[in-house]
Amino acid sequence: MTIKSPAERPRARGPAMTRNCRNQRLVLLWSLVWMSSFVGVTLALKEGWLASGAPGIVAAVVSAGLGLGTALAYRRFLNEADEVQRKIELEALALGFGVGLIGGFAYWLLERSGAVPTSKSDLLYVLAATCFTYSAGVLLGRRRYA
Amino acid sequence: MKNRLKVLRAERDWTQADLAHALDVSRQAVNAIETGKHDPSLPLAFRIARLFGGSVEDIFLMDDKESES
Repeated sequence: MTIKSPAERPRARGPAMTRNCRNQRLVLLWSLVWMSSFVGVTLALKEGWLASGAPGIVAAVVSAGLGLGTALAYRRFLNEADEVQRKIELEALALGFGVGLIGGFAYWLLERSGAVPTSKSDLLYVLAATCFTYSAGVLLGRRRYA
Repeated sequence: MKNRLKVLRAERDWTQADLAHALDVSRQAVNAIETGKHDPSLPLAFRIARLFGGSVEDIFLMDDKESES
């Protein structure tokens, strides 16, 4: 393995960074398509553009299939990422899990104990909190190891 | 764990990006190892040692506290 002299150094990003960026873009693209389908199906069912029953089930299955594609793209990203990238993802996932799931359950208990006012609790809020804290965790991790 | 990565890299006038390219890792990974924020896995430590033509022990040094435990 040889490294060129400073004058001959390639200006382009290394293969690991190129691979990471490509895989991250794929995860982002799959996520956007999946979330769009989720919002679209939810809206269609709510507004009655899509009949409940078989058409609704088919739409939900298609959306879930796109979600599976997102999960597979994320798995590929993790498999091909280097160990520091994996560490950043792991820490971010732990943060997302902690805040979203455990925070969600804690709030649910506090609601029932009367410590906090009763609200229209929704699973979507928990998922949104998980996604938000995961994203924040990735950004913090990248900054920490930059 | 301490390491001599930064010194060895500087001796060869390599940038972090050069080293990352040679090791097929991100520049972040090189920086994290150099600054002691991340201890590399055994395969990566061997790759680093091979690149610099030494042994793992030549590059990575256990802290006193770590070697006692």
